Amino acid sequence: MAIMNIKIYSKLCRLIPIVVLLLSSCSDFLTVTPDNRTEEEGYYDSPQRVEQAVTGVYTDLRRALLHNYSWLMYGEARAGDLVVDVDYLSYVTAQNLKANQYDLVQLTDWGYFYDVIKSANDVLDIVGKSDDEVLSEYQRNLYKGEALALKSTAYFYLTRIWGDIPSAEAADFGQKITGAAVIERAVAYAAEARGLLPWVLLNNDGIESASLTAIRFNKTAATLLLAQEELWRGKGAEALTALQGLSADGASLSGLGLSLGKDRRTEIPTLPLSAAMVSMPLARLNAIYPEGDQRRAALFTISATQATLIVRDQTMLELLKLSEINLLQAEAAWRSGKLTEARQFLITAAQGATEDYTGLTEQTFADALLLERQRLLVGTGQRFFDLVRFGKVTRFIPALSEAAVQNGAAYWPLSARSISGNSLSQNSYWAN
Amino acid sequence: MKLLPKHFCKFAGVFLASSIGMSQVHSQDVLVMDSLATSSRSGIENSLLGTVAGLRVKSWTGTSGIQSIINLRGLSLDPTNDSALPLILINGVPVITNPSSVTGINPLSYYSPEQIERVEIIKSIDRLAAYGVQAPNGAINLIMKGGRTGPLHLRASASAGVNVLNDFDYRKDAFYDFNTIARRKTLGSGSIVHEQNVLVDGGGDYGSYLFGLNNYSDEGLLKSTKFGRQSLFLNAKYHITPKFTAHFYNNLALTNRDSRYAGEYNRDLPLPVIGDETFFMDKKRNIAFLSSVGLGYQLTPGLSINSVAGISYEGASRDLYIPSNILKGSIYASSEAYRRQLITINSSVNYLHSFSDDWKMDVKVGHELRATDNRLTSVDGARSLESGGSNYVKVVTGYNASQTDALSDHDVEQLIGFYGIGKWSYRDDLKLDIVLRTDGSSLYEKKWAFYPAIGLVYSLANTLKLPLSVNLSVGKMGMLNRPQAYNGELVAKGDYYNGNILGVGQLYPAFRDAKSVDVLQIDAGLSFRIKPSITLSVNYFNKTYSDFIYRRYTSNIQGFDYQYETGGKLGLSGFEFTLNSSWIHTDHFTWTSNLNLAAYNNKVKELPGDILNTSISHLRGLSKGDPVTSVVAYEGSQQKVIGNTEAKLFGGFSNTLRLRNLSLAFTLSYASKADVVTESFDSRYNVNAAGSEFPLKSAETPYYFIQGTDRQPVYQGIRTIEPGSFIRLNRVVLTYHLGALVKKFPSVEDVQLFLKGENLLTLSRYSGINPEENIGGIRRADLSNTGTPLPAVFSLGFKIAF
Repeated sequence: MAIMNIKIYSKLCRLIPIVVLLLSSCSDFLTVTPDNRTEEEGYYDSPQRVEQAVTGVYTDLRRALLHNYSWLMYGEARAGDLVVDVDYLSYVTAQNLKANQYDLVQLTDWGYFYDVIKSANDVLDIVGKSDDEVLSEYQRNLYKGEALALKSTAYFYLTRIWGDIPSAEAADFGQKITGAAVIERAVAYAAEARGLLPWVLLNNDGIESASLTAIRFNKTAATLLLAQEELWRGKGAEALTALQGLSADGASLSGLGLSLGKDRRTEIPTLPLSAAMVSMPLARLNAIYPEGDQRRAALFTISATQATLIVRDQTMLELLKLSEINLLQAEAAWRSGKLTEARQFLITAAQGATEDYTGLTEQTFADALLLERQRLLVGTGQRFFDLVRFGKVTRFIPALSEAAVQNGAAYWPLSARSISGNSLSQNSYWAN
Repeated sequence: MKLLPKHFCKFAGVFLASSIGMSQVHSQDVLVMDSLATSSRSGIENSLLGTVAGLRVKSWTGTSGIQSIINLRGLSLDPTNDSALPLILINGVPVITNPSSVTGINPLSYYSPEQIERVEIIKSIDRLAAYGVQAPNGAINLIMKGGRTGPLHLRASASAGVNVLNDFDYRKDAFYDFNTIARRKTLGSGSIVHEQNVLVDGGGDYGSYLFGLNNYSDEGLLKSTKFGRQSLFLNAKYHITPKFTAHFYNNLALTNRDSRYAGEYNRDLPLPVIGDETFFMDKKRNIAFLSSVGLGYQLTPGLSINSVAGISYEGASRDLYIPSNILKGSIYASSEAYRRQLITINSSVNYLHSFSDDWKMDVKVGHELRATDNRLTSVDGARSLESGGSNYVKVVTGYNASQTDALSDHDVEQLIGFYGIGKWSYRDDLKLDIVLRTDGSSLYEKKWAFYPAIGLVYSLANTLKLPLSVNLSVGKMGMLNRPQAYNGELVAKGDYYNGNILGVGQLYPAFRDAKSVDVLQIDAGLSFRIKPSITLSVNYFNKTYSDFIYRRYTSNIQGFDYQYETGGKLGLSGFEFTLNSSWIHTDHFTWTSNLNLAAYNNKVKELPGDILNTSISHLRGLSKGDPVTSVVAYEGSQQKVIGNTEAKLFGGFSNTLRLRNLSLAFTLSYASKADVVTESFDSRYNVNAAGSEFPLKSAETPYYFIQGTDRQPVYQGIRTIEPGSFIRLNRVVLTYHLGALVKKFPSVEDVQLFLKGENLLTLSRYSGINPEENIGGIRRADLSNTGTPLPAVFSLGFKIAF
């Protein structure tokens, strides 16, 4: 029996080194990679995954602009041009933006736009940290350019909707910056993006793809954004310079639309301009597009009571249209004191209109340009911002007096979350 | 092998190589199961109710197979959730304890009280510290019966009884909104409870063995429901050599629970008419397996090595079908399977040494591995019958992808602990315990945490000739903080570009400082032997829980909705009194009793700043010093603490009287100073319609809750705030030992006939049926958190041993 004990003992002793070895693998044992969710650490190790992060910024922008039809609420619906079949529309058209209605309160919250900025900054980080084995030069420039353009877009919307806003940049995070400073940053981002982005994007097979280019930022779209921003801050000459690059090769130009699809986080309309939801009353249509205007039939399906928008491509919502190039050039030239050029651009843009624009003067040009922008850009959400930029809010929206606009009525009120979470105060119009 | 994680094979080597033994931490209270008046209801915890000071077992529901709420000096931010459960061990091996969300079947129902030899209740820090982060809320170790010396013994028992619905009159009929007709259709007396056990055992030089089987069935008070269990078990010890021993324990249990719709899921029945549930199906099936292997080797008389490996496994499945007559035109079907496993390996080296006749030392050094692996798979779908079809479609076909949800979820957690336990004793006067443990968890980046404890027991019997002993201990434990958040998480945001590219982004940023909750515990106690047969012990404890994990909702310019952080501090303290006495002990008559009482107080010591923007904002109405179990409601526009749902005093009183061949055992349980808040069935208003002021009703309290969603908030009025105090005659067992028969047949060891009664009488001022029936102490208007009535159970049975 004693011998047996010794044998067992010696066998057990032989296993001691194995025990020591196994104990040294504690840290492996204690590192669990969950397969029921995706951890951030170490995820972006291929171009496809970095592209997912870039796509994430687009989906953030899509949510910011499409939830509760916000791009129209901030634009044509607030200006009264388009009717959206939702119960909170009446508050918006009545300029009663502080009413205690759930969806309206959500519209006053800027969180989704800041999500775009955060996601864009994350992409810039990811691209900055990834080495050459992960991203090619083309991909690096594209993703960086897209992130900058998307960030620029978000800031541009934020300052147009709320005026002075907090910064979401690491250097001065949370500090309130003026609308002028915001637009300055937006311009810088858009300008850098324009330099980085290609005219046409390549698909996964390395082939130029017009359909992909149409739903992602490209050089044309970044230029349009830059021009809009320059004009917003009153820099006509700069806008004109920026736009000059666009006339080189018309075939490679592409606007920007948001690709439509399912958002996993919230309900957004997948057919945002559907006839069932968005329409223009007939009286309004006739006021904007008089009988004889050749573009009515191309833009609208007209019934006995209303007009609904014709959507050429159901898979996307156009935000930056190529048809805006001439309008922007007209405005840029006009604001640079080049009326003749401006008139020519406007006439080119307004083909099919009943009006004769050849005799426009310095005094009448603004109204004509505003009208054509209203006509051609219907459905892109720019109308209200145009009224602000042209100083015509009071004229087209009688509910808002000049004094009210001076006090900040053209902006949206800050949500309670925006005020409490960021130590801000309501602007003087909405504070009362 | 699919059941085993990939690390298992690696660590099987550890198990074989190193020594082991279960960490034999000495317990505080030991209950011998055969001496207790055990419960006829499924769930071991029901047999422990009222037996130990500080062990709170709340019989919140009469539905069979459901776990009672178990608490042993336990506290958490949400005191009703699983994290406040004590650690449950079987022969020292940790087992899955909390019921799965799929079937809700109680894992403590896998065992019959007949299988259990004794129960060790472990509460003090110097004993708990050896379990590290596994036992912040106490531990209960069930020691299973083993084989006794002799070639073969046979023990058999059987009982049968009925469930009776008592104490249910129209004045107390809060169930189903006082809808008495509906209640009568769903609840009824007379359903059968029965159980059969057979145990075969023996032992000798080779070791010992015990195997057996058990069958249990309870039809429950709720008509058309039932719970059943069948189990097989083996407990074998084998002396491979005189120094080398092996211990095998296995328990395989099948359990089933069938449910119904009206009365169980749908509790606020608006009409007296109950829908036909002929085609309703809700079948829940569990298979549970516990297997452990222990090896022990005695190297020298003082030095031994031990190793125990255990697998606790549970497969739970549920098949649900709701026909169209219940869902008013739609049918719904789902199938869920949840597989949970817990693998542990515990190895140690034990060294005993006597410095002198007076000074002795017992040192144990060991390590423990714990791997949890849970996987859930579920499919569900609904289909409307708009296009025609039978009201009763049993076979569900034709689901398409857009109508069906499928989910697979997988959760893995790993833990490694190293511990050293030193015990020094000087005669019978002084005992000193020092425990050092470090735990590494896969949940955190900073994996390791250190848990020390020290304990001292001093007996004055020799030095001062006083029958008094004093104990004092202090130490630290941990409580795991979930989820694993240290690497941050990405979320799929949405489809883009014809649904071809998925947009992803950050859900929350990495939380590098994630760590366990720190639990600091101090124990102090006195044990006084008033007479040789009467002992009074008084214990005080104070626990402080710090640094719970919760979500912090960020400002709306951050670009992400929340991040994790740790904070907050809770305190739990209390006194526990136990009086154990053997009042009379003669040949013909004996009377023993146990009286226990616990007086507890929990309180908020610290809450995170700006708590409104956290996931624990429901605690915002509480101030420092308020119990975390408070109910907070609105009065006007102000939040106010309107009650405390946790009893401040609770305990039990057990007596056993034996007169010749007849014995009577009974247990009373009681609790007091708990409030029950009952919601009004009538005062419920849409906030948007009612305006900024809650429309007060004169017959009700001025308090109200705000419920519903952000989009549609609802005012819910509060009808009453009632005392939840009660005394209950919990269990009575009358046993007759057929001594004459034993004498006539020498091979028969014992024959008993017993009559058992359970839940016979409850004295309470509570307006409902059972003062403990509401989870969280609030009776919701839809009874969603309220248990079904507790039945009174009368059963008759016998036990025979050969």
